[in-house]
Amino acid sequence: MARPLHPQLLPFITSEGDAWDDLKAAHLLQRAGFGGTPAELAKVRQMGMEKAVDWLLDFPEAPIDEIQPGGGPDLSSIEGYPKNFNEQRKLFQGKTDQERMRLRQELQRGNREAMGKTMGWWMERMANGPYPMHEKLVLFWHGHFTTGAQEERRASLMWQQNELHRRMAAGNFREYVRQISRDPAMLDYLNNSQNKKEHPNENYARELMELFTLGRDQYTENDIKEAARAFTGWAHDGDEYIFRARDHDAGVKTFQGRTGNFNGDDVIEIILQNKACAPYIAGRLWNYFAFEPAEGDKEMLESLGNVMRENGWEMRPLLRTLLTSRAFYSPRAMGTQIKSPIQLVVGTVRMLDLDFPAFRLLHSQLNQMGQVPLAPPNVKGWPGGRLWINTSTLFVRYNTGVWLTGGEIPALIASRRGGAERTVKRADRREAEQNGGVVLRPEIAALDTPEQVADYWVRRLIQRPVEAEKIKTLAASLGGNAKNEAAVKKMIQLIVSMPDYQLC
Amino acid sequence: MQDFVSTRRLFLQRGMALLAVTPTIPTFLDQTVIGLLQQNDGSRVQAPTGKDGKILVVVQLSGGNDGLNTVSPYADDVYRRARGNLAHAADRVHKLNNYLGLAPNLPYFKELYDQGRMSVINGVGYPNPNRSHFRSMDIWHSAYPEKEVVTSGWLGRFFDNTCVGNDPHVGVSIGEQLPLSMKGERISPLAFERAESYRYTGKDAERYKDLNHDDAMVSAAAPSTRPVGAGRVVAGPKKKAEPVTSGAQLDFLHRTAMDAQVSSDDILRMTKQFAPAGQYPNTEFGNGLRTIAAMIAGGLPTRVYYVSLGGFDTHANQAPRHAQLMQELNNGIQAFWTDIRKQENEERVLMMSFSEFGRRVDVNASSGTDHGAAAPMFLMGPRVKAGLAGRHPSLTDLDQGDLKFSTDFRNVYATVLQNWLDTPSRPILGQQFATMNLVKG
Repeated sequence: MARPLHPQLLPFITSEGDAWDDLKAAHLLQRAGFGGTPAELAKVRQMGMEKAVDWLLDFPEAPIDEIQPGGGPDLSSIEGYPKNFNEQRKLFQGKTDQERMRLRQELQRGNREAMGKTMGWWMERMANGPYPMHEKLVLFWHGHFTTGAQEERRASLMWQQNELHRRMAAGNFREYVRQISRDPAMLDYLNNSQNKKEHPNENYARELMELFTLGRDQYTENDIKEAARAFTGWAHDGDEYIFRARDHDAGVKTFQGRTGNFNGDDVIEIILQNKACAPYIAGRLWNYFAFEPAEGDKEMLESLGNVMRENGWEMRPLLRTLLTSRAFYSPRAMGTQIKSPIQLVVGTVRMLDLDFPAFRLLHSQLNQMGQVPLAPPNVKGWPGGRLWINTSTLFVRYNTGVWLTGGEIPALIASRRGGAERTVKRADRREAEQNGGVVLRPEIAALDTPEQVADYWVRRLIQRPVEAEKIKTLAASLGGNAKNEAAVKKMIQLIVSMPDYQLC
Repeated sequence: MQDFVSTRRLFLQRGMALLAVTPTIPTFLDQTVIGLLQQNDGSRVQAPTGKDGKILVVVQLSGGNDGLNTVSPYADDVYRRARGNLAHAADRVHKLNNYLGLAPNLPYFKELYDQGRMSVINGVGYPNPNRSHFRSMDIWHSAYPEKEVVTSGWLGRFFDNTCVGNDPHVGVSIGEQLPLSMKGERISPLAFERAESYRYTGKDAERYKDLNHDDAMVSAAAPSTRPVGAGRVVAGPKKKAEPVTSGAQLDFLHRTAMDAQVSSDDILRMTKQFAPAGQYPNTEFGNGLRTIAAMIAGGLPTRVYYVSLGGFDTHANQAPRHAQLMQELNNGIQAFWTDIRKQENEERVLMMSFSEFGRRVDVNASSGTDHGAAAPMFLMGPRVKAGLAGRHPSLTDLDQGDLKFSTDFRNVYATVLQNWLDTPSRPILGQQFATMNLVKG
């Protein structure tokens, strides 16, 4: 029988003085996506909360090739690459060392190119794709079930995993854990490919519990050893998962107090039965979408976790409860989140309807801000929160915003001032010069006074009230002429250089 | 002297009284004031003049530098046989003794060695060497070879454990991203590719400053720049965790923005005013070293600078590439020490170089070398116990074709931490590693 929801999770109900207004619509679109356009804001406001959340959660549980055939990234640079060990062997057969070396370099080059294409494609889909909440979840899971492109050089495997996240994003958590445990990129990243009966490797077993399902203090070191034995032989041959029976330890294991001839799926089942699992996942999702939970939120997260358990580990009901809850629209949530670098970039492109910038240039900015898609810093994923911000990254965030809204390209400015022309990569320079910055299409026709113009763009970009003094400063930057397009552009560059714009 | 320094001194002199009436001073300054009032060990805090603290400059050679062709056992027949055409001829190396010699393009290293300013530590590595660039680099950065998941580096933990307050200037790394080695749980040092890009690049800088400056901010209640939930605080009273409001986040951002502005102004001024005496290579590495020399000249209160030279992954046709890298390394370091000496900062600086691994003993079929294991490290500076340290690994007693290490890199780290940075190494390295006789008392 379903248990009653924690009071903080009950649906937000419009009451006097706390209406379903622009602020809440904007909040929902920021958190369950990357920020709303004026049209989306109007739509969500008009739909009301319940319908709006249903609409945002209405995306197909499918890989791109089913949603939109041929709509995936351009992977032509790895076309015909060996798909398994046999093909790989044939390719290298009968070649001299020199030829092999060249071939390896060629394969590496193709993989690097495809990896870059995948990163760029994905961000562009976040910005312009039809299902922002879908991609927002894919980004969450990528940082949760982490695999890093620094270590996994095979672009096909990173793309395959990205598609797994897309297929499972709001699906069944039990099935998700079973599938990610068979995902080739994951098997590589956490060394389960090397987990063999004779030499068990505990890396996957440890992170499966510590980071992916339970959190600390829910298992013993012995549990890790025994779980690792259960996962022995789970490996992959190129793009395909395979079970190597020869490497599997079929002996009896004792895990979390139970004894049996467990395999990996049995271990996953026992983990799911641990009471800490559902609240742990609920907490991770809560942290990503709402705010960092505190000690006092324990009961709320248990209640939210129950929503998933009671629905047979389906995640949509949990997500729906989260996005409609009172707590989600409380002051602890509204405007308190520091945008991740991806949120910042994608949101700027999306809210201003900009052309997506050349990823080659964007990559360097993202790297400096600390978040390159497909490349989290370690298995813990991205740390987030205030850790996004320091005196170095703040400048990069501001300067990236200025660049995206029509200002100069940071790499070029640096090279000019520094007199170190050679240090800017030639290809970047060429691309930047061809690109000539991003074109902004400001809509300024109907606005009369500088204050109105400033107010309009703050509403459109920051989507929360800012101090009156700041509006004055922005209005003053227009120099008395509300219709001057160049001046409006510069004002927009100021807006994205405000502390307020770093929050959502 | 420089504004930065005098501003700091001013705050230090006026202390809390100033804090009360000046609500908008940058966080790292007021944190430092609070820190100094609470500190129990003043010796670990960078002195406010910026002229008397010790400095460590780390030079990272990325890609796996070929140790055998950097410090070559030129007199060993095994070396000649294993390396064939790649081997340095005995008459071209700069001989350190009758067995080892420096690469032909390292004449300045030889000069330093002869002057008693350089120590060559042979055969440095760690148990069960990993041959993946990323993993092995992580191991050198974290100093935890046995841990798979590491989120902080040895220098980051040095900052966390010994630096009071939140001043990001305790460490400066030249490069796009802060390397893991410099990442602390509490302190986030500076990282930028070029000083020129460490600034706001929008057109309307005046209004930008207005929008990032909050007069209404009340200092007493202002949040620190310490990340919420980011590990333990070494100094300062323990505050009860409060829910983060939008306003608190905005205050945090405003203060970081003001910190950044002060810091950027200072660093840009220092680099602009700097007239180098040394001839720096016109490369990223050269520019990085020049920027570091400028910041040391400017009196930035930095304990650790970090700079990298990449391109050492020489799998094919190694000879010309490696020679070029050795030249760039040699010339950059020569220019740097020329400046540091002229500034009379020489006694304060220790330079340490490392690479994630050396290379295989045998040359491969493409006239290159593949990923290896143990390799030499260099320590430079007038306070270094000069000479050869560590046993040079045998060229015949190998581990899967690689040199066996004779010195664990953590012994070198422990030495640098204890004997140069004057801090206990155990809390930073997780266990006590024996120190070596590398630094003069």
